[in-house]
Amino acid sequence: MNGPRLSRRDFLKLARGVLLTISGLLGLGGLVRFFSYQSQPPAPTEFDLGLASNYPPGSRTLLPQVPAILIHGDKGFSALSLVCTHLGCTVESTPQGFACPCHGSRFDPRGKLIRGPAAKALTVLRLETSPDGKIHLFTN
Amino acid sequence: MRRLIVIASALLLLTLLGIAWLESRRVKPVALTPTLTGQVEYCLSCHAGLPEISKSHPVKTFGCVICHGGERLALDASLAHSSMRGGKNPADYSVVEASCGGANCHSGSTASYNDHIQRATTSIQATYAGAIALMRYSYGAQPNQTALFGISTVQDSQSTSGITSLQAYNPASESNPQLRLFGENCLTCHISAQPTQTGGRYDHFTGCSACHTPTQSTDLTSVNTITATQVHKLTTAISYTQCDTCHNRGNYDLRAMTFEPRTDQPTDRLHDYYQPIAQFTRCEWTLDCLDCHTRTEAMGDGSLYGSKFDIQYIRCKTCHGTPAELPQTITLTDPNNIAFRQALLNPVVDLKLGDTVLVTEKGEPLWNTRLLQNGTYRLVGQATGQVFTFKPVMGSGCTQDPNDQSSAACHKCHSVQR
Repeated sequence: MNGPRLSRRDFLKLARGVLLTISGLLGLGGLVRFFSYQSQPPAPTEFDLGLASNYPPGSRTLLPQVPAILIHGDKGFSALSLVCTHLGCTVESTPQGFACPCHGSRFDPRGKLIRGPAAKALTVLRLETSPDGKIHLFTN
Repeated sequence: MRRLIVIASALLLLTLLGIAWLESRRVKPVALTPTLTGQVEYCLSCHAGLPEISKSHPVKTFGCVICHGGERLALDASLAHSSMRGGKNPADYSVVEASCGGANCHSGSTASYNDHIQRATTSIQATYAGAIALMRYSYGAQPNQTALFGISTVQDSQSTSGITSLQAYNPASESNPQLRLFGENCLTCHISAQPTQTGGRYDHFTGCSACHTPTQSTDLTSVNTITATQVHKLTTAISYTQCDTCHNRGNYDLRAMTFEPRTDQPTDRLHDYYQPIAQFTRCEWTLDCLDCHTRTEAMGDGSLYGSKFDIQYIRCKTCHGTPAELPQTITLTDPNNIAFRQALLNPVVDLKLGDTVLVTEKGEPLWNTRLLQNGTYRLVGQATGQVFTFKPVMGSGCTQDPNDQSSAACHKCHSVQR
C-alpha cells in the first residue's frame, strides 16, 4: 500500500510548478481580457436600407434604428430625421405629421415646423442609391 | 532557497487571485450616449433601475449628467458623485441655472413660456419678501410694509410691480430680539430652505423640486410615521399634499416666535385642509390647490412683489362668475396657446383647437376646464383626473352683491362646517 514517498525537494518543485502555472494562466487571462476590451463603438452614420424596390411608391417607412422615416414620394426617395430639432427627443408619426412627445413640437408630413418649442424643421437626411439598387442613408 | 521560491509563488498567486476577485466585483459598465450631449456617460451602470423622471426628460435624450452633473466616466460611486450639482437635488436654487437653465430649457423667454427660473426665483415663494416686510414692520424695524429684503439679493430691472430689488435679509443685524428669533425659527417657509422636519410628511426638497418632485405619501392616517420617499420624478400634476409640505405644517407662535407643528392626525381630506381655523367652501377642499391657482400665482410672473396678495388673484368668480355676469372664457384658436403646452405636460384632458375654456382676468387659460354645450362647466382635477361639473352663479338665485366678490362674502353661504 505504501508507494514511494515524495521527497521534500520534489514536493517543493511540484508546488512551485503548480503555483507558477496557475499564476501564469491568470496573468495570461488578464492580458487577453485587457487587449480584447472594446470601448463604446461610435454611433453608425451610414445605414444600408436594402433594395429600393422594397419601398413602393407612396410608402412612408419608419426606420427606428436611425431614427428616421423613408418617404417614397412623387419625386423619388427622401428621408427625414425623427430627432426633434428642439432638444433631441424622437418625434412620433401622427396622422397630421410628426409630434414630439417631450415638449409638444409639431411638424407636418414633410417635416416642416408647425408649432414650437422647436425652431427648425426636421432635418432632411442624405440618401444614395448604389449600383446594386440598394439605398444608403447618411446621418452626418 | 527553494522554499522561498515556493512562498513567493504562493504570494504571487494569492495576489493575482485577489485582483481577479476585485475585478469580478467591479461594476459592469453600461454606456449611454444621450442625443442631447453626444457624450458617453456611465451612470446607468448603477442607476439602470431608476424610472424615467418625466415624459419631457427621457434618459435616452437627456442622460443624467446634463441635469445632475457628476463625473460621467467614473464607475466608482464616490468619484462619480463628487461633482454632482446640489447633491441629490440639482433643482436647488443655488444650482438651478446650471442644471435646468438655458434658453431651450427653463430660462428661456416669456414669449416661449419657458422663463420658469426667472419667474420662480423672483416669486414671493422664493424671496419670502412679504413675510419679512410684515415682521419688520410689526416690530418697528421699518416704517411701512414695503418689501426691502428677500432671502437672497435679487435684482429685477424689468419688474413691473415697483419693486426692482431686494437685499439679502440678515436677521443677525436686527436689534430686536424677536426679529432675530424670527430669523432663526421662521425662515424655513421659503423654497430655498430645508424643511424643519425630515423623514415625515412635511419633508420636501428645495428649489423647483419642492413642488415638482413628490416626496411624501398621501396616506392621511399616519401623519407622523410616514417615511418620505425621494421619488425620481418631475411632474406638473401636483397634488395638494405637495403644497401641504409647506402650507399645512402647523402655525407660528408670534409671541414665542416658534413654529408649532400640527399635532392633529386628520383621517380625511376635509380635515387635512390648510389652516384648521379657516373657512372654506367645498371646492376648496375637494380640488387640488393648482386646480384654481395659476402658474403665475404659484411661480410668479417675473416681477418682484412684497405681498402674496399682489400676485394671488384667483377668486370664486373666476370660475363661477357673479349674479350679473358669466365667468370669462376663451375659445382656443391658436395652437401655440399655452393651454396646449399645459395639457401636453399633464394630459388629464384632451384639449383641441376650438375648445372653450375658462380664462382668468389676467388672460391665463384654465386649461383643465371646459365650457359645455348646456352652459355648465367641467373641470378635471390636475392631480386626480377627477371630473367636476358646476354651474355659473348667474341665474342661480344668488343675491350676493356682484361688486363684492371676496371669498369671505361667498363663504357666508357656502362655507363647510367640520
